[in-house]
Amino acid sequence: MGGKEPSVVLLDENGIRCDGRKVDETRKVTIKAGVLKNANGSAYIEFGDNKIVVGVFGPRDVHPKHLANTDTGIIRCRYHMSPFSVTERKSPAPSRREIEIGKVIKEALQPALILDKFPRTSVDVFIEVLQADGGSRCAALAAASVALADAGIPMRDMVSACAAGKVADTIILDVNNEEDQSGQADMPVGYMPNLEKITLIQLDGVLTPEEYKKCVETAIVGCKKVYEIQKQAIHDKYFANNGD
Amino acid sequence: MDKNKRKYVIPGDVITTGPYRPEQNVILDGERIMATAIGISEIYDDSVKVIPLTGIYIPKYNDLIIGKIVSHSSLSWELNINSCYSGMLPASDVFGRNFQASSDDMTAKLKKGDLVVARIANFDRSRDPLITINDRELGKIDSGELVRISPSKVPRLIGKQGTMIQLIENGTNATITIGQNGLVVVSCENPDGLLKAVKAIKMVDEQAHIANLTDKIKSMLESSSV
Amino acid sequence: MTNVSILDELQRNKILELLETGQRVDGRAFDEPRKITIETGVIPKANGSARVKLGDTEVIAGVKIQPDRPFPDMGDKGIFICTAEILPLAHPTAEPGPPGEDVIELARVVDRGIRESSMIDMSQLVLIKDKSVIAIFSDNSVIDHDGNLFDACSYATTAAILSCKIPKWEIKDELPVLVEGQESSPPITTIPTSVTMGRIGEHIIVDPNADEWACMDARITITTNSDGNICALQKGGSDGFTLEQLIKCSEKSITIGAKIREIIKESTKGSS
Repeated sequence: MGGKEPSVVLLDENGIRCDGRKVDETRKVTIKAGVLKNANGSAYIEFGDNKIVVGVFGPRDVHPKHLANTDTGIIRCRYHMSPFSVTERKSPAPSRREIEIGKVIKEALQPALILDKFPRTSVDVFIEVLQADGGSRCAALAAASVALADAGIPMRDMVSACAAGKVADTIILDVNNEEDQSGQADMPVGYMPNLEKITLIQLDGVLTPEEYKKCVETAIVGCKKVYEIQKQAIHDKYFANNGD
Repeated sequence: MDKNKRKYVIPGDVITTGPYRPEQNVILDGERIMATAIGISEIYDDSVKVIPLTGIYIPKYNDLIIGKIVSHSSLSWELNINSCYSGMLPASDVFGRNFQASSDDMTAKLKKGDLVVARIANFDRSRDPLITINDRELGKIDSGELVRISPSKVPRLIGKQGTMIQLIENGTNATITIGQNGLVVVSCENPDGLLKAVKAIKMVDEQAHIANLTDKIKSMLESSSV
Repeated sequence: MTNVSILDELQRNKILELLETGQRVDGRAFDEPRKITIETGVIPKANGSARVKLGDTEVIAGVKIQPDRPFPDMGDKGIFICTAEILPLAHPTAEPGPPGEDVIELARVVDRGIRESSMIDMSQLVLIKDKSVIAIFSDNSVIDHDGNLFDACSYATTAAILSCKIPKWEIKDELPVLVEGQESSPPITTIPTSVTMGRIGEHIIVDPNADEWACMDARITITTNSDGNICALQKGGSDGFTLEQLIKCSEKSITIGAKIREIIKESTKGSS
């Protein structure tokens, strides 16, 4: 958690947050499936001010060969932020934070993927954050799930994602950048909506047991909202009878 | 689309519950049968499956495919068959069992970049699929235009009992070889016919899910301009 | 890895046959670049940005501007640094990791095209001489690779710089302090425009796509400025050019560069 002294009021007396939202409102989310020519599957998401593009290749041959698994395909995931994506320019070399987020997203997607029919191959997920705002790992996970479906990778369920948090002793849905920096808790959650399983969960901050329960439930509500947007993105590309 | 039996699905969608047998692209979760791919679900008799609208090619025994030579060893050629696995064409398939092929012999027959029409001779997932070109209709492709489509659209391009592909061939006088792996080769003496045939194939790839696609292609083929 | 994939023989033969009859596989004239679309301000949080589509090649350039120490022997000039990265999602053969020689060449050629043209008047980017200057970074992220990344990155960086806004810093106790809400347009002296050409046999084609790129014997990238003068040049590929061909290329780069310069200017209208 940022632990900074808030320079803005995070929650006013009317229950309105610093960006005008109510406590149970998510930011604006749009997703487009199939945006890249070369990748087998792809998606682009705007989640608040996050702008993230995801490309998926696979299943395909694994290089180096020693990483391959003879019984099942594997998934690899790279989360990377463009140098211009954050306020102070970031070096293009991957940071430890990016590497950890890549692992956490990979492990959020793994339960959803069915790769036993593709031994010795890898499904490679490449996430590029073009502009970062709070909750970028949730946005990236939601887009990655759409990109994987777009690539035709067999999946038990979609994986949706949204964060919940705490500011001014109140549980809020979808934490933005200021709330992440100066709030009291931030909990990103990844969720499979039909199998009802949580596959990503982290926590920064301190919560009482009641707050913890409410926070997870609130995040799941957010995940379900984002799921509707994922469905719409796939429908728009594959099922729409758009005119000639 | 018959609403009772078919619907659009995405991974995780519950297609139905009950005593059905799960077939391609579905899984059983307790009583629920759920889709594992973006596609069209079908329930018939006692089984449920999903026809996928996307995804790479998975080799199947006896599939007709089009592959591209990428390298060779002293014993075989390696082919890109538009799948996660490379195809292996043994030298013995071309030279006979007892011939010791030199590198020059290999390259003279088939070199890097050459395209072949082949069949999957054997495939189990423990190693790369075995390819054969030992048949009259198989072998190196010398001419024609290569079009790539999504392998999941190949059934639509062939059509029920070949109706779609015949429609395109008859309407353009082109000869079209369709690989199950999504690679299609088109030859036509008439350049206009060639353009129309390629356009028709791309239309199927982009609009396979649209209801009146056959009519649209028919009218495109009949119109005088491309 | 600016050269991708094994081209199949059918496609290679088709490209060569068509060239002999004065045609290209995608119907373009030899001197015709692909459709160029440029959108600026796509990354609002950056100081400047542009998204360029050159045919199916797509690049996003982001400009970040911040105070920095000047280079030791250039205390009276600001800093300009240009990078490029081919993202692994741009092509099946693109690998994550430290850049290979191809990508390094790409970044340096794009950088020199801008730097050697003196596009930005660096002397106007000084806060405290010899201590603190303004650094302008342009980072190119290639998100889809269909050949000719040199020109795509060059146009993206140029458009991003033309449309960027430089924040204002005040000096307090010898240190730069940001003044919110006050921004200025960058000091631009000229607009560099690069044109990349490939030689296949005796034919010179402008803006080769990925398939043509794989057939090329040699390539050349020539950058011109608004006065129609040549300010940067790079030959690449495993073969060479005759003197005549080099002169022909330079002439093309001036005329075609002028047309593309107008497209870049049009896309950045209203941002300065």
